[in-house]
Parts: sequence; structure tokens; C-alpha cells
Amino acid sequence: MYVSMRWLARHVDLTDITPEQLANDLTLSTAEVEGVERFAPQLHDVVVGHVTTRVPHPDAEKLSICTVDVGEDEALTIVCGAPNVAVGQKVAVATVGTNLPGDFKIKKSKIRGVPSFGMICSVRELDLGEEHDGIWVLPEDATTGAPVAVALGIDDWIIEIDNKSLTHRPDLWGHRGVAREVAAIFERELLPLNTSLPETGSEAPYPVTIETAGCSRYVGLPIDGVKPGPSPDWLRWMLLAVGQRPIDLLVDLSNFVMMDLGQPNHVFDRNRLESLGAGRGVVVRNARSDETIETLDACERKLREADLLICAGDTPVALAGIMGGDGSKVAPETDSLLLECATFEATTVRRTSTHVGLRTDSSARFEKTLDPNLALEATGHFARLLAEIHPEVRFPAKPTDEGSWTDPASVIPLRTARVRTALGKALSDDEIRNILERLGFGVSDNANDPAGSVDLFQIQIPSFRATKDVTIEQDLIEEIGRIYRYGNIEEQALHFDIIPPPRDERRMLVRQLQDRLAGGARFNENLSYTFIEDGLLEMMGELDLPYVSVINPVNQSESKIRRSVAASLLLRLEGNRRNRGDVRLFEIGKAYEPENGNERGEPKERHLLGLAWAGTKPGKKAGFSENRLMGMQSIINDLLHSRGCGSPEWSSEGTAPAWAHPGKCLFVRLEGAEGPVAVLAELEPGLAPKLGLTGDLTSEVAIGEICLDALLAARRNGGGYRPLPKFPGIKVDIAVAVTEATTAAELITLIEQAGKKQVNHVELFDLYRGDSIGAGKKSLAFHVLLQSETKTLTDKDEAKFLKRFERLASEAGFELRMG
Amino acid sequence: MDPEATLDAARERISACEDTEALKDLERELIGKKGLVAAMLAEIPKLAPEDRKAHGQKANALKQSIVVAIANRAAAFSSSQLETARRADDFDATLPAPLADRGSLHPITQVTRELEDLFLSMGYEILDGPEVELDHYNFEALNITKDHPARDSQDTFYCDEIGTLVLRTHTSPVQIRAMEDRTPPFRVIAPGRVFRQETTDASHDHTFYQMEGLVVGKDISVAHLIGAMKTLLRGIFGRDLDVRLRPGHFPFVEPGFELDARCPFCDSGCSVCKKTTWIELLPCGLVHPNVLRAGGVDPEEWSGFAFGLGLSRLVMLRHNIDDVRHLLDGDVRFLEQF
Repeated sequence: MYVSMRWLARHVDLTDITPEQLANDLTLSTAEVEGVERFAPQLHDVVVGHVTTRVPHPDAEKLSICTVDVGEDEALTIVCGAPNVAVGQKVAVATVGTNLPGDFKIKKSKIRGVPSFGMICSVRELDLGEEHDGIWVLPEDATTGAPVAVALGIDDWIIEIDNKSLTHRPDLWGHRGVAREVAAIFERELLPLNTSLPETGSEAPYPVTIETAGCSRYVGLPIDGVKPGPSPDWLRWMLLAVGQRPIDLLVDLSNFVMMDLGQPNHVFDRNRLESLGAGRGVVVRNARSDETIETLDACERKLREADLLICAGDTPVALAGIMGGDGSKVAPETDSLLLECATFEATTVRRTSTHVGLRTDSSARFEKTLDPNLALEATGHFARLLAEIHPEVRFPAKPTDEGSWTDPASVIPLRTARVRTALGKALSDDEIRNILERLGFGVSDNANDPAGSVDLFQIQIPSFRATKDVTIEQDLIEEIGRIYRYGNIEEQALHFDIIPPPRDERRMLVRQLQDRLAGGARFNENLSYTFIEDGLLEMMGELDLPYVSVINPVNQSESKIRRSVAASLLLRLEGNRRNRGDVRLFEIGKAYEPENGNERGEPKERHLLGLAWAGTKPGKKAGFSENRLMGMQSIINDLLHSRGCGSPEWSSEGTAPAWAHPGKCLFVRLEGAEGPVAVLAELEPGLAPKLGLTGDLTSEVAIGEICLDALLAARRNGGGYRPLPKFPGIKVDIAVAVTEATTAAELITLIEQAGKKQVNHVELFDLYRGDSIGAGKKSLAFHVLLQSETKTLTDKDEAKFLKRFERLASEAGFELRMG
Repeated sequence: MDPEATLDAARERISACEDTEALKDLERELIGKKGLVAAMLAEIPKLAPEDRKAHGQKANALKQSIVVAIANRAAAFSSSQLETARRADDFDATLPAPLADRGSLHPITQVTRELEDLFLSMGYEILDGPEVELDHYNFEALNITKDHPARDSQDTFYCDEIGTLVLRTHTSPVQIRAMEDRTPPFRVIAPGRVFRQETTDASHDHTFYQMEGLVVGKDISVAHLIGAMKTLLRGIFGRDLDVRLRPGHFPFVEPGFELDARCPFCDSGCSVCKKTTWIELLPCGLVHPNVLRAGGVDPEEWSGFAFGLGLSRLVMLRHNIDDVRHLLDGDVRFLEQF
């Protein structure tokens, strides 16, 4: 909202207050000021000139050569093209060197051979309007040589207040309300404003019927004898200063009253109302379903029953509180008017304004919950101003004042001790009283306080503050704090008992996982959107699963909330693979399952760690473990070990997620945890091309997901200290050729059996397939560490072990490949 | 055999040795098991008993002298080898090392951890809250009534037509959950992800990060709030910044403030502070009694303050990031910079 200082000065003395100081103090005490700008700075650059001679240009029919006195020793010669320039006029002169709007610099020039030392300006050249019929002729009493702004008395500064910081302050949507704040802040007097109604005639009041709860007060004042025409200069300049284009007296005055007191109002043509409403007067009612109205911006608005209409009889003439309709236009020849100042319910206006997509200066004010008292004050204000401008206007009847409004003014008890405690500042009762009174609150001691408390005030809340903002004791504390200035309160340290916060297992786990993944495992932590794209779900065939989804997504295809975090990473692979041979991403986030919600309607929340590792496929000579699946398996083993869940058992038993290769998918289950703690798989081969991982981007991809909730529930079984071996061990290598169907686990079990508890460690170091062992077979080679807790093992122990293993292997039908 | 002459001869030969091998051979010849000195000692039994001692002493003295001479010669060799080893003619100090893949923590994680650690050190508890939130916690219990403009769908993602479930629009619902689960006094923070239904551009995203703070205790005041916020800013920026508290309206606090800090990036106005030298950082205030009541806390007995901090914005300020969308874009070229 724009606030003009000159306008403000109609309500409060601003002597010695600079625009910067005003802006700063309003920001610190009232609302955020977004900018301070001089009104029409160009009017300070141009000066008042007095045209003393005018002769036609010898070589150009439309030009004239003028002598213009600009208050200097020598008058200027200026060539002017305007037809209306005349001797004796006072005009706006841009002298040589002046910069005009549009970065137009005035230079000394020669026009058709005649030197010209400046320019006589039009309204348009000064960016004050569209008129360009000729030069701007100033009033005759303008002081020659003075800057135009000073000569016209329109030197003004405009303060722009952030509308968002005024949403709770209906009283600040007009200059008088801002002036009241300024008066309180600077301890000055708010000048009185007479808003009583001028004398009215004795005709019957205009009929008004309110048929809806959405209008609590409707004041209608008939006005006769208005001559349409432009507004007086003072009014036009005021409106221009706050960015409002002057139109004609009635529109301008309506806007002025709105921006002065904050009360929107409307002027109807009474003749028009009569003809449209067949003499039934004004009816305020709810719209009928699918009823329409054409608003003044020539848009047809389709309405709902919740929307409010001002009607002439039954014919809609205005969308209440928002904009007039076609039927509200005032005919040029009319002199019979009805002024409307009403109070409409805030939420109704806001909803209608949102629904029809039309926000106006009027609706913005009604949305804030206006004081119904203002309706009558604004009526009086309008009438008085109009009568001042046009003494011949008549008010044939008393205003109609309908509605079931109640005065919002109230009384709130205030404990001054509470003020001191809440602000942390020892303000005296007198200081508190003084601040509240400056703001227009009534302060009285409560003699009848049953508790006999001496520090209790009864605060009378004036109606303009009582509709919304000030309803409880804390609201008053805010009033005191902001006027006292929060900057005057010294900081204090908190005092609490020293008790450590409870141990936070999940946060510790999250940090541990993040550190290991970003550290040794060299993964990049990613954060993706919670929304998962329909396109991806369709690729995975998971579009029909239950999802929490939003009904008003930003993108239609991104309405569903993810059930898996790993899935979020899939769409990040292609782009990153374009830039990197090897892409490792992890993400810790939340996922939701609506089908497992609770009785309050909250979906089940899961905390998941997603892992994705993609890169070029390993070469032919790569070792058996040089692939992303086994790489990620090692990483997950490390993560689980760090959590104290060492040596996890991996199994292929489980339901593979949609992104998983159906055969190459592994699960970890841990005691105490419900469901798998981790799932790991190669990417489902069918998904790779859909994800764009083809051609140069063809990748080997491993995807994993760890459920943090399950991991937290899992029993910590392993890790910790084992005594160091006392006796040296023996390393034995074993290689066995087996059919593809035989698992490594079977062989390891066999090794452990053969070792008779002397097997300390088994490590697979080679996996070979090839012609030398035949098709359908594979050879596995292990390092086995034999160790005893009671003696140093010898060659004999090794021989015994090998013999036992040979026997067990041949019983099982395996082929040993020794030496 | 004259030991003097023998020693002179031996020294001459030792000096003449040109490499370690020759020296080893000579050492064997002179003082080895079958060497010169050994031969001298072998003569002892043949000598008269009174001469034996002196002969033995001479032989040992000779051996010691030879050992020293050999050691000196050997040291000369090894110093020249060390000299060779210390040469670096073939070393190029500008050879670029191969790039190591590096893992990284997301900048949001990094700034969140910093703040968590700061608040943990002051005894605050760190809380988590659901991102899919009940309307009750996101609005109703926070004194944002059914008619409040913030409820309009232009800001909120609704999960159903009846408006029970929303994507939380701020971390403030954790205030209520915190109060429900504990008895005062307590102090908590709650970092996390929040959502606003708005079109994305370089400075707006529909998903971003905030951190909520709530302190409930006896006689908590604006003065305490100012102290706590200054401590927070000191933790973030590593130095004291001037702050100013000005009125700000939020339904869940009363009085409510905007806390501005002196722009840490300039002295006289820059693009970050929009030439004002102040940056708006922390909406905060004393907890509204309706909110305390909604959390089951008696506002006559207890009071508190709450604050919110935009973590995404803080990350952008700290790293001078020009497009908020990078944060959730998943581009490794961005992620690995942190």
C-alpha cells in the first residue's frame, strides 16, 4: 500500500520527520516499509516559466519562438511546437541539462535554424498522464523560476508498506489509520476529523433490504445535484501520489474516501436503480447457483450461492465488496445518486474474490474484517468532502442504515505484571498506560478487581482495533512492546536445569549411515522431491498401488507421494551418467503407505535409505567381485556392521521390488525387525532402456534400500571384541569345481565341517568359468584360515583338514582342483 | 709381524676400495674368521706365556682400528648413495594427481547438522515430524482457523477433498506434537522438509527446508527470545551480528516478530539484502496461548517462544547458490561440490 506523506499530514503534524525516519519507525513499530520514493521527482527538475513573447518561427508553420522567463537574469529563447502556447502563460520548463522521464536529456539545440535553450513540457512528457494536445499550462500564481513541485505545493514522499504485513490490521488500510500509528510513535496528536453528516432533507430514506448474513451493515445516502466533471487539483494530485489515476469527481472521491479511512464505497445512479429494480430499492442477497453478473471490467462472472450480490430489486448491480456491475454505471447526465458504505463479511468476500479471480482495492480491505462503525463515518466523510467541492449538492433524505451489526468495541483486562514478564522489561504502569492511550485505547484502573490486584488495568478496545487484531491480553502486550520498541529490550540468557536431551537413536543412525556412505563408500548424498512421477510409476507397473496423493499438484503428473526412496533415485541416473562414468547416490527420506494408516487418518510413515550405483559395465577381465551388486553388498555389510548387526545373512527369499532384477535380488532380515531390513538388486533389465540407460549410457546398475525403522528395531548381535589369537594360524587355499546349481554357501558349510571348529575365516578369492572345467560348471577358490585357541597348528593339522574336506567333497560329488 | 706396519698397509688398502663389494672382501680378509687378525690370535698358544697377553692386546687393538677404518670407508659410500637417492631431477611438481571420486553430504544436511549440534550443546532436543500432516497440527492447533487465508489452497497441498490431510506447510506442527508428548519446561528444534503449492522458479520451490524451534518454561520473555536468536545467529555466521526485531504477524505467536540481521555480506547494501543492509531471517514470537492450550500446556502457568529458520535459504546464502532448484535436482555436479 502506498502512503503519501502529504496526505498523512492532513491527519497528523509531520514537521521535522524525514521520510527515511518515518519509514524506519513504521518498520520497527508497525509494518514493513518496502520503499520510500519521492513523488514525481521530475517535477523538481522542471521549473515554472513565464512566457513573455511568442513569435511564429520564420521557417516552420507549426513552430513558435518564445521568450520564457525562468527567474534567471536572462530569459530563455525556446522553440515550441505546441499550438496552445501563449504569452502570459505559466508553463513547466525543462532547461538545458535536465533529464526528463525516459532518460531524455535536454540539450541546447537549433530547430530549423533557430537556437532553443530548453523545452516547454506537456503532461505526457512529464509522465503525468496521456494528454498531449499541448503544453501543460500551470496556474497563474505559480512562482516563476521555482521547481514545479514546489510551486504547486505537491512536494511529496511516498512510503510503500508491504501489504502482507497489514493482513491483521484492517485499520491501516487508509491514511488516517497510518496517521494514528504515526501519532502514537512520534507522540503527536491525531488531528480531529469531522465525519458527521451534513444537513439532510426530509424525504423518505432510500429502501434497503438485507437478506443475507454476509452483510452486517448497509448505509445508503441519496445525493442530488451533483454536476459531473473533473476533480479539483488537490484531489487529483493526492490520488496521483498514491498511484491512482484520476477519472472524474465521483470516482475520485470514492477512491479518496476509501484510501483515507479504509472504507470501500460505491456510488450508484438512483435513476438506474429505479428502472432496474422497479422501485424495490437496494437488496443485498446471496447469489443463486449459476447466476451471473457482468462486472465493470466487462467480464461475465459465474457465481455460487456463497457469493454476495447488491441488487436493484432482484437485478444484480454489484458483486458485493468487490466490483460494481454493468447496472452500477452512472449515466453522464444523472444528478441523482446513492452512496453505499457497507460492511461485508470478510471470509465471504475473500472466497468470492478467489473464486471469481478478481482482487480489488475494495475486496482487499473487506477481507481484513472492517469495523462496521466505519460505514457511517465514511458516509459522512464523503458527503462533507463533496459538499465542500460542490456546495450546491443536496442530501434529500437521512441515510438508510440497515443491518444487524454489533459494535465490536470491547474491554480486555490487562495485568501489567504480565506485560513486564512477557517483554522481559521493567516498564512502569504509567509507561504502559501512556503507550496504550497514545494508540487510542482507553485505560482505566479496575477498582472492583476481586483479587485486589493493583496492577490490573481494564483496557477499552476501540472498534477499529477490535474486529480482529486485539482480542486478548497478549495482543495488548504486543501493542506495548512494539511502540516501546523491541530494540529497547536487552537480551537475556535462558536459564534451565542442565539435563541432556534423550538419546536419539534414529538421528545417530542417520548420521552414521551418511558419514560412512559419503566417506569411505564415496557416495553423493541426494535429496529428491517427495512427489514421484507418474511416468516412472508407469514404467515400473506401480501406478495402481495405493499412494498418498495431493489433489492440487503443481504438475499434474506429480501428485503422488513416494512409497520408496530408492525409486526416487532411478530418474537421476540418466542425466548423471551423461557426465560421469560412475554414479553413486544415496538418499535418506520419508515414504508413505496410506493402506497402513492409523485411526487418526495418518498414513504409515517409513524412513528409508535408498542407494543407487550405476556405471559402465565391467570389462571381460574384471574379477568376479568387480561388479556394482557385490560392491553395494559390501557397503551394506559395512553399514550393518557399523550398527552392530555384523555378518548379516543374505537371502534371495522375498518379494522383489518393481525396480529389481527378478533373479538377482537379495534381502537381509534381522532378528527383532519386521520384514527385510535391506533389499539389494541389479536393476530390472526391462527398466534400463525406459530410464534412458542405452547406447553410450548403457550401465550396470545396483539399487538398494534399507528400512531405517526395521534396522532400529533389529537386535544388535555382533561386533564388539573378540580376543586376539594366541597361536599362529595356517592359510590353506582350496578350489572346487561344482555345477552352477551348487551355492557358495554349501561349500563354505562343507569347509567349516571339515575344519572342526578350527576354521577362523573363509574368503572367496576366485570364481572361474571356462572350457577347462566344462560347460554348466564353475570353480570357486577360497582362502581358509585355520586357527586353534590351544596350540600352534602344524602341517599335520593342515593335511588332516584337507583329507576331511576331500572326503566330504567327494561324498557331495564335488571335484577338487588342487595345485 | 709388525702390527704398526700391518695397520698402515690395511688402511692403505681400505682407502683404495672403490665399492661396497671390495670393502666386504677386504673386511673378510683382514678381520674375518680366517683373516689376518684371526691368524695373529691363532699364534698365541705358540708364544711364551709371558708374551701372550701383550700379543693378544695388540691383535685386538689392530682389529678395532681396522673396524673403524672400514666403517669410515663404508660411511663414505652410503652418503654418496643417499645423495643419489635424494636427487629429484625427474620429479615434476606440477603433475596433476588423478581425480579421486568423492562422496559428499548434501549442503542441507551439512547446515542442518551444524544447527543441530549447536542446539544440542544447549540442551535442546531434536524432533522429527511427519511431512504428510493432519490439518489439525498444521493449522487448527496453531491458531490458524478455518477462515484464515493461509488455508486457501493456493498455498497448501491438500491430500483429500475434505481437508484432513495436507503436506505440512511449515515445521510448526512439530510444536504441538512436542507439547503433547512432554511436560514443560522443555526446548526443542525440528528441522525438516515443508511444502507450498507454488510454481517453481530460481528463487521458489514447492519443496524446501525449515527449522522450527520451541522453548516452553516459566516466564519466558521477549528478552529471552532476543538472547536465543542472537546465539543462533552467532552459531550460523560465526560472529555477532546486529539484529533488529520488528512486528510480524503469524497466528501462532503473540506478539510476533520478524528478526532481521545485519547483512553479513556487505556494509552498505548489496543484492542479498536488497540494498537495505538487513536480511530478514527469523520469524519468531511468544507462543500464542491458544497454541499452548492446543498442546495441553496451561498458558497461565507456562509461556514460551518459537522461531522458524529457512534452511534452504540459509544454504543458498552461505554458498551463493543462484537457483533453489539445484538443491533437489540430483545433479552430481552440484552435489559433489559440498
